[in-house]
Amino acid sequence: MKNIDKIKSVKNRSLLYSNIRNFFNQKDYLEVETPSLSSTLIPEATIDNFATQFVSEFIPSRELYLIPSPEIFMKQLISEGYPSIYQFSKCFRNSEQIGKQHNIEFSMLEYYSINMDEQDSIDLTEEMLLKTHLENTPSWALPPFRKISVNEAMKTYSGIDLEKCQNQYQLYEKAISLGLSSVVKKESWESTFNRIFLTYVEPNLPKDKPLILDNYPKQIDCLATNKTNSPYKSRWEMYIGGLEVANCYDELKDMDKVKEFYRKEYSIIIRERSNSNRVIPDINDEFYKLFNAFPQTSGVAIGMDRLLMSQMQIDNIEGVILFPFSDMII
Amino acid sequence: MIKAGQIERGVALLIKGQPFVCVDREFVSPGKGSAFVRLKLKNPSTGQILSETMKTQDNAEEITVESRDCQYLYNDGENYHFMLTDTYEQIEVLMENYPDYEFIMKDGETYRCTFWEAQLLEVQIPSKVVFEVAEAEEAIKGDTVQGATKYVITETGLKIKCPIFIKQGEKIRVNTETKEYLERVNS
Repeated sequence: MKNIDKIKSVKNRSLLYSNIRNFFNQKDYLEVETPSLSSTLIPEATIDNFATQFVSEFIPSRELYLIPSPEIFMKQLISEGYPSIYQFSKCFRNSEQIGKQHNIEFSMLEYYSINMDEQDSIDLTEEMLLKTHLENTPSWALPPFRKISVNEAMKTYSGIDLEKCQNQYQLYEKAISLGLSSVVKKESWESTFNRIFLTYVEPNLPKDKPLILDNYPKQIDCLATNKTNSPYKSRWEMYIGGLEVANCYDELKDMDKVKEFYRKEYSIIIRERSNSNRVIPDINDEFYKLFNAFPQTSGVAIGMDRLLMSQMQIDNIEGVILFPFSDMII
Repeated sequence: MIKAGQIERGVALLIKGQPFVCVDREFVSPGKGSAFVRLKLKNPSTGQILSETMKTQDNAEEITVESRDCQYLYNDGENYHFMLTDTYEQIEVLMENYPDYEFIMKDGETYRCTFWEAQLLEVQIPSKVVFEVAEAEEAIKGDTVQGATKYVITETGLKIKCPIFIKQGEKIRVNTETKEYLERVNS
């Protein structure tokens, strides 16, 4: 019985991938395949990495890393003048907790659309889901999308107006008044925000339709552009059935800001990981130069295992992947 | 101290001086953000449910609990009365603080219980328990509708929906978490 279910999910995955390939091919997106092993990574302090060793008799050995997302290569292609591109890839995140929604190795669909902005990529994603979904996908996992901003969601479900809590202390006071006991005075705005968001907001987000959360606070550092004269970034996330499935940036193309992001993230990585067995990846100091003449691009990353879970109404990631990590460590 | 990422169901924590037991936990990493654990915690002595999200690297104050066997004696409508089987000491706890245990403990039955500083935190009731049906309505003759159900009351006073063929004096297996009928047990 168990095998029949697994075979069904394997077949569905193959069908969904093929539908999505057809969708993007018809729109003249180029399917690319970039390496899983890389000599450098984009520094991201919140993501732990896997390292391995290249060994050779003739040239010096060196450390290589499994990619946590294909972003580093796909942005390079865009900067070299490629058209809009997409890719299915395996991504690896170390120290990931083992649970119903996580596997340390997972499948990602990333697409980079040139000359598209936030709303264009929401429309594109909506059209893609509509045209590629599996038969028997429940209506809550299908368009039309519902869209709300992060601050509207915060106001509705936690009573906090972020525009009135732009510094960490103001947000800390609110968190305490809501009854959160683990929040600490000296932590980042982002950490306090996440505690509130994950406790009061995310579990209560509407689940009747795929939900686009947009206008992410600029205090959450990432490679998305800042909106002008606004405390928000051009970033959106998609939740389906309450589960986070997609993350999208209007890609930052300001060399100085990319350089600054690299410097800040890497210094956190060095500080936090130096006295531990956590991997400190090599980074490419010149990466920011890619953004010298980077086109307006919207980049979307979709967790394919989770998308499949939503369309098949399976609530455990292990139901849609072969050989889940948890089986290997028992 | 315990790392928040290590908190599992059943782990007892001290929060603002009060004991809480983890009843549910889920890992979440928002966006490309840090790893958090979303916890649902319950204060057994007040029944208060606390939702809390911690970074997996946060420290939490774990409390050491003690497991002891207790015989459930009876309830007087307000309190549950237990006897510690090793010392014969009797204890009573307010029923309203332990609503999950209502109508599922059998008089005279011994349960494994966890305590923190003499305070009862949890009675470990098996997830499936066989009960005798104390009261059952007679099935109406000729009622052969498939899947027809009726209510019965178990020896412990639990009112439960079950198939119409269940009679008084028979034994049924019940899921004690959902308080739902599972199957008839032939004795």
